[in-house]
Amino acid sequence: MGPGVIGLWRHELRLFLRQPMALPLLLLVVLLSAGSVWAGLAEVAHQREVIARIQPQQAADVAAVAASAAADGDPGNAAYYTHHVTWDPPSDLAFIALGQRDVAPFVLRVRALALEGQINESETYNAELALPGRFDWAFVLTYLAPLFAIALLHDLVASEREAGRLALLGAMARSRRGLWARRALLRSGLLFAALTLPLIVGGLIANSGWALLGVIGLAAAYLAFWTLACLAAAWLRLGSVSAAAALAAVWLIVTLVLPGLALVAINAAIPVRQGVELTLAQREAVHGGWDKPKPATMAAFFRAEPAWRNTAPVRGGFHWKWYYAFQHLGDLSVAEPVRAYRAGLERRDALTRQVGYVLPPVGLQLALHRLARTDLQAQLAYQDRIRAYHAQLRRFYYGYLFTDRPFQAADFARAPRWPEPPPQP
Amino acid sequence: MKTVRLLAGNDWRLMARSRVAQLALLMLLALSIVAAVTAVAHRDDSNALRARFQQQADRAFDGQPARHPHRMVHYGHFVFRPLPALAGFDPGVDGFTGNTIFLEGHRQNSANFGDVRQSSLLARFGQLTPAFVLQALAPLVLIFVGFGLIANERERGTLRLLRVHGRSAAEVLGGKLLALGGIAAVLLTPALAALIWLVASARAEPLAAGLLALGYIGYLALWVLGIVIVSALVRSARGALIALLGLWTLTTILVPRIGPDIALRLEPQLTRLETDIAIQRDLQRLGDSHNPDDPHFAAFKARILAQYGVSRVEDLPLNYRGLVALEGERLTASLFDRYATAQFAQQRRQGTIATRLGLLSPAVAIRSLSMALAGTDLEGHRRFLQQAEAYRYGIVQRLNRLQAETVTYVDDGNRNRDPEAARRVRIDPRHWQEVPDFTYRPASLAERLAAAAPGAGILLVWLGLAAAAAVAAIRRLEETV
Repeated sequence: MGPGVIGLWRHELRLFLRQPMALPLLLLVVLLSAGSVWAGLAEVAHQREVIARIQPQQAADVAAVAASAAADGDPGNAAYYTHHVTWDPPSDLAFIALGQRDVAPFVLRVRALALEGQINESETYNAELALPGRFDWAFVLTYLAPLFAIALLHDLVASEREAGRLALLGAMARSRRGLWARRALLRSGLLFAALTLPLIVGGLIANSGWALLGVIGLAAAYLAFWTLACLAAAWLRLGSVSAAAALAAVWLIVTLVLPGLALVAINAAIPVRQGVELTLAQREAVHGGWDKPKPATMAAFFRAEPAWRNTAPVRGGFHWKWYYAFQHLGDLSVAEPVRAYRAGLERRDALTRQVGYVLPPVGLQLALHRLARTDLQAQLAYQDRIRAYHAQLRRFYYGYLFTDRPFQAADFARAPRWPEPPPQP
Repeated sequence: MKTVRLLAGNDWRLMARSRVAQLALLMLLALSIVAAVTAVAHRDDSNALRARFQQQADRAFDGQPARHPHRMVHYGHFVFRPLPALAGFDPGVDGFTGNTIFLEGHRQNSANFGDVRQSSLLARFGQLTPAFVLQALAPLVLIFVGFGLIANERERGTLRLLRVHGRSAAEVLGGKLLALGGIAAVLLTPALAALIWLVASARAEPLAAGLLALGYIGYLALWVLGIVIVSALVRSARGALIALLGLWTLTTILVPRIGPDIALRLEPQLTRLETDIAIQRDLQRLGDSHNPDDPHFAAFKARILAQYGVSRVEDLPLNYRGLVALEGERLTASLFDRYATAQFAQQRRQGTIATRLGLLSPAVAIRSLSMALAGTDLEGHRRFLQQAEAYRYGIVQRLNRLQAETVTYVDDGNRNRDPEAARRVRIDPRHWQEVPDFTYRPASLAERLAAAAPGAGILLVWLGLAAAAAVAAIRRLEETV
């Protein structure tokens, strides 16, 4: 009678853990994974706290505007001096992959003036700290996990061959294939558990829900890729030293070299300097508005905003109606370059996705950041929400400007609010 | 010495026969060449583009028609940060900072359109530049080529043979160091060629380029020492390889990422939005030019009236509105300066924390040295922000002074009612042409050398430690073989 299935596995586990490197390596993985989950959770909590703590500051700022610069009841002053706050709270899964949220603003204030000069504002951050990237779980999985998989699996067969036990093992095992499959599965399974247990704890703390299963599935697939790579080295009958060197070289090529080359190629293929160009053009269009004849400006504005067509005409040297009209026309005049700029960014993103189909680390990073809602798409979606909100704000102020209604202290509270509730820290 | 050369020659012959060594070396050389060519081209293109945009902005400003000076305060100006020549070797934080700022009155805008926000996530995988190749990839190739240099000989028993033939342990170690050092020298060539090219074509300072080369020579020498020592101390070739890969992962991949996280946790920074609100709040306290009863501006008015010995602002020889604009901008700019100074100080504290952790990793040290010498570190961006703000303040105050001196108070008040007054407040466009163009003053060589000193110091400490370890390794070899 041979040992039962469970007994077999337990035996293999004992053999594996008896290796001097096995347990320390696994503990190190748990430590790194837990550390990255903690760092991610702390960063997400910090971002939520920022969004929560700006609310009273913003309220005080609006109150000060109401009491001072816009106290005369002129809606033009109110619209000019009042900033409106927007925010993009981190998702419940953002802690695994912090993505671009450290270099792109997640809180931004806008005014009812031309938007294109405001929406590309950047956040203050320490670029030298952003340069190497953040220590999040996605980093541990993408970069470090393969190295640990290589350390644990590169000599799966070779170590037995080099110790002279291979023939004996082959003769003793009921199925050779079963033996190696069991050993490979055991080692990669332990690595998988060491990686994902802290993640699951973090997911429970962050209340991530079912999306976490997607992350776990991705991690399993990614580890499976590296396990197969290690088995390929065994299949090629590489010695343990050559196997380690060859696998580390593969890691280097697919995680550092090829993504770097792909970035150079994509950015060269799709230049997006329109960002600067459209900003320069928009400023010319907005300021050119001062010198254009008022009736022509108002006629063009009413074509875009017909609701105010039959309101009192603009007379005299300056009127806020006219000012806000040419602000908006400035935005409209660059609608095409704005679209082209965004299309350029999306093209770059789409090409990166194609690279991701070929390079597992790139594909994994993209998928994780999509699940975490911290990628370029999420950034653009936030900008879209800001655009929609800005349109609401404009029309809110138009409602006073074009009907010559005074803007009183109570009206500040009637301004449209950012549609999402601020998160509780 | 002859023995050392002889031993090294033998190793080179072995490497020349090893397919793995050949492949690793060729791949890295090809990669270095690609990195050097693309980084230099990218630097040239970006710099030319920025120079063109700057010219366009200068022309647009100078070409404005006759206008009320305050209109020009809001028309504003754009400035672009030029790229230093050595950015073709190490672009540093350039891609992570905006390179253009819109300058206008009463406001301090951010530097926008950094590459990182315009690129996909790939930008976070690390940019393929000569600096990155030498910092991260070259050590790995040296590990592949060198991990077995002594460990293999030990496993095969040839190490004992060498010693029996009268080779001292120091000679053996010296031979291995020379062998791997030769490989490191080969790896360095494309990057050195790129540096020479930048000196010749883009007028990079030869001293900075030379010190940059020296820094990388020291960094790779450190790895050569480390690899040979580990190969001498660890029993098996496989153990040496695993230990070296672990060391590389720790120092080159892990520590550089953990450092910033710790620095940000210890020194969390305010968002731009909060700074904006705080500046507005402080401004209200300092003086509110919209409020007719504001004590600061009431006192200002009294002082001006007393200074000119008149009782009404209409009787002043200067346009009072222009004087208020000057005073208002002075108050705002003093707050911008105060907040910017605090923010820069905090970023320096963050940098210090990260550099201290760099003691754990020579890769962090060489990166900081490299960016500092290339002029692409955060300090360079700070200089740009400070100079842009000084330029902004200069232009705005110049225009405000024009408003005070060339536009009368009465016309200024009637410009929206009286077309004749509106015509008179538009002053001659030569005033815009007289505004000097923005010229960015990069850090002097001395400042860059000072900024590179901490990184260089850490590398020297590491080299000292490695040399001590080499002596210990020689002693171990003497005993064990």
